[in-house]
Amino acid sequence: MSDLLSLLSLGASALTAQSAGVAVTTNNVANANTPGYSRQRVDLESLEAAPLIGGVRSTTPQRLADDLLSGRIQTAAGSLAMSQAFADALAELSSTLGGGGATLDEQVGALFSRFSTASAAPTDSASRNAVVAAARDLVSGIQRRAADVAAARKEADTRLRDGASSASAIAKQLAAANTAVARSDDPAARDHRDQLAQQLGKLVGGQARIDHDGQMRYVLDGGAVLVDGGHAAALTATPDATTGLARLEVVDGGARRDVTGAIAGGTIGAGLAFRDQTIAQVSTQLDQLAFDVTTSVNTVHTANAGLDGATGRAMFTPLTQVAGAASAIALDPGLAADPTRLALAAPGAGPGDNRGALALFALGSQSVASGGTRTLGDAAIGVVSGVAVSASGARGDATRDGLVADHLAGLRDSLSGVDTQEELTNLARFEHASTAMAKFISTIDGMLGSLIDQL
Amino acid sequence: MRITGNRLIDLAAASTTKGQSQVATSAGQLSSGLRVTTPSDDPDAWLAAQRSKLRQALSQGTGAAVQAGRDRLEVTDNALASLGDIVSQVRSLAVQGASDSYNPADRAALGGQIRGLFLSALDSANTRGTDGEYLLAGSASLTAPFDATGGYLGDASMRSLPADGGATTGVTIAGTALTRASGVDVLPLLDRVATALSANDMTTLGAALPDLDTAIKQISAARSGAGGAMNVLDQTTAARTVLEQDLQQTISRLVEVDTVSAASELAKATQALEVSRAVSSHIVAMLAPST
Repeated sequence: MSDLLSLLSLGASALTAQSAGVAVTTNNVANANTPGYSRQRVDLESLEAAPLIGGVRSTTPQRLADDLLSGRIQTAAGSLAMSQAFADALAELSSTLGGGGATLDEQVGALFSRFSTASAAPTDSASRNAVVAAARDLVSGIQRRAADVAAARKEADTRLRDGASSASAIAKQLAAANTAVARSDDPAARDHRDQLAQQLGKLVGGQARIDHDGQMRYVLDGGAVLVDGGHAAALTATPDATTGLARLEVVDGGARRDVTGAIAGGTIGAGLAFRDQTIAQVSTQLDQLAFDVTTSVNTVHTANAGLDGATGRAMFTPLTQVAGAASAIALDPGLAADPTRLALAAPGAGPGDNRGALALFALGSQSVASGGTRTLGDAAIGVVSGVAVSASGARGDATRDGLVADHLAGLRDSLSGVDTQEELTNLARFEHASTAMAKFISTIDGMLGSLIDQL
Repeated sequence: MRITGNRLIDLAAASTTKGQSQVATSAGQLSSGLRVTTPSDDPDAWLAAQRSKLRQALSQGTGAAVQAGRDRLEVTDNALASLGDIVSQVRSLAVQGASDSYNPADRAALGGQIRGLFLSALDSANTRGTDGEYLLAGSASLTAPFDATGGYLGDASMRSLPADGGATTGVTIAGTALTRASGVDVLPLLDRVATALSANDMTTLGAALPDLDTAIKQISAARSGAGGAMNVLDQTTAARTVLEQDLQQTISRLVEVDTVSAASELAKATQALEVSRAVSSHIVAMLAPST
């Protein structure tokens, strides 16, 4: 009788173990489409002294995940977000600079082409008006690009401020997730923490590591710690006193650390590279182009004579410095109002002389830009081509980073992903075992009943 | 390697998305005719194309100037031809007037006729171009170069334009071609002949006849100069046309799409997309019983 009771107890524990398997399997299927979920597995282990007093029991559900792989995925997510955001920003800037009607180099070409045309008819008002119109187009073209670049810089700066705010919020959540993991070691909390680390990586790059205490530390490029266990610092955007652009700082209590030049990953890293390197470079190139156009054309123009024989008049309003030249470039107001002031004749010659026009036309083929290293047309092409080359390179980086991220996603899926067919197979296995155990218990129960009836 | 159903679906979706992107790219290229629509599509090709466009723009500016210069030379040549005809007529009348068979009254009538021809010659010498400039004035082209007596008021300056091979060529004939600097003062000579005939001054008339021959040669030489310059400009235009055609071909090759290969790419991309969709359907169907 006591043996039968032991068998009944064995059957009950077996039923419990199989039910645990069913529960874990059901939970896996329920979370099959939950982002970042790591599948769990319950292992069954036999008890000693079976079959009379042994049996089976289920172990604690095991989370199938690899912290090292999670770290690589988080790092790859930061790189991919950086290269994608950088490529998008560069492509947009490249289209802005190279699109929207005539390009800068085409406008430079048009101006010199008009000088050439005017050289055949220097007294003709239509020729002079055409030169002035082409010069006006070039001026407005440079100014428009300068405004576009300034707008792009402002937008990038706004995104950086927003990104810093989001990063701080996620850092807080990550610290809270660390606390939750420390408190319960809940697999779902670990998944949540990995997801947050990945989100943070997409924003700021950097690296998440899990130390021996099981706590995650999030370290930015350059070494600044953003999250340390249950404690999170803030990433703040502070306007620079000189430029007004946001400087990013990790603020931890009273300590502040400037990380503007250090962050090299995530969308914030892309924004910083775009704002502080690309935009700054394009802006300088535009300023240099505007300055070179103004000074080189003015040098020739002032040495030649207008229709009235007067010399010494500038074609463009003279500029004193390169910085800000793209915004400041302007056609001389007197010349704009009176194209007869256009100096197309050599000094002392009659109004029909065209040597001034030829000298101005010749500028188009001379290396007068970028410190005398290239023509004005080539300098204008260089403004766009530099961005285009960077955009193309960044797109290649994004493709490469995408492949890496995809490969890692495959590895993670292989280890942690839920396969519904596999889970249904497991479910059937546990279900059949449960059914068998139920029959077993029923049989023992019947035997016990018969024994009791015979007493 | 363990591959889950979700992973299969993700891979199929990614494959379909990639296929759609390739179809969109190929279709976009075919419909626009352009392989490079933004600089970042192919920076090297865009850069080379823009350089070619820049050269094209400068060449077109030169071309417009050369054409205007040639037109101006043609009008100048017509004016000189007209002037040459007039001087030839004057010479014929002067030869007639020098004949013993003419009496003073006949000569005075011839003088009057030559006076009228002088005015026509003055008109020809003061011919203006379509832009209103006096063609034979040198650089003083806004003022009539010859006064009522035929005296030259312009300068010797000649307008030049870039020609083929980096050289320059003159596109104007200065009025000095009709002055003593080139032989004789042509217009005053006509006036002198008219006066001599009217005054029955046979000595002056006789001395003027060789000068008329010189004047005719001067005008002919000026016309030859104009013709030579027009030839140079024609050669420049021909070379420029070839250059611009080459540049256009280069630009087309760099940024325009090869229709045949683009159509082939579109067909391949479309086929790949269809296969991706079929694979996606199979995967979904395969996983359906378990979901």
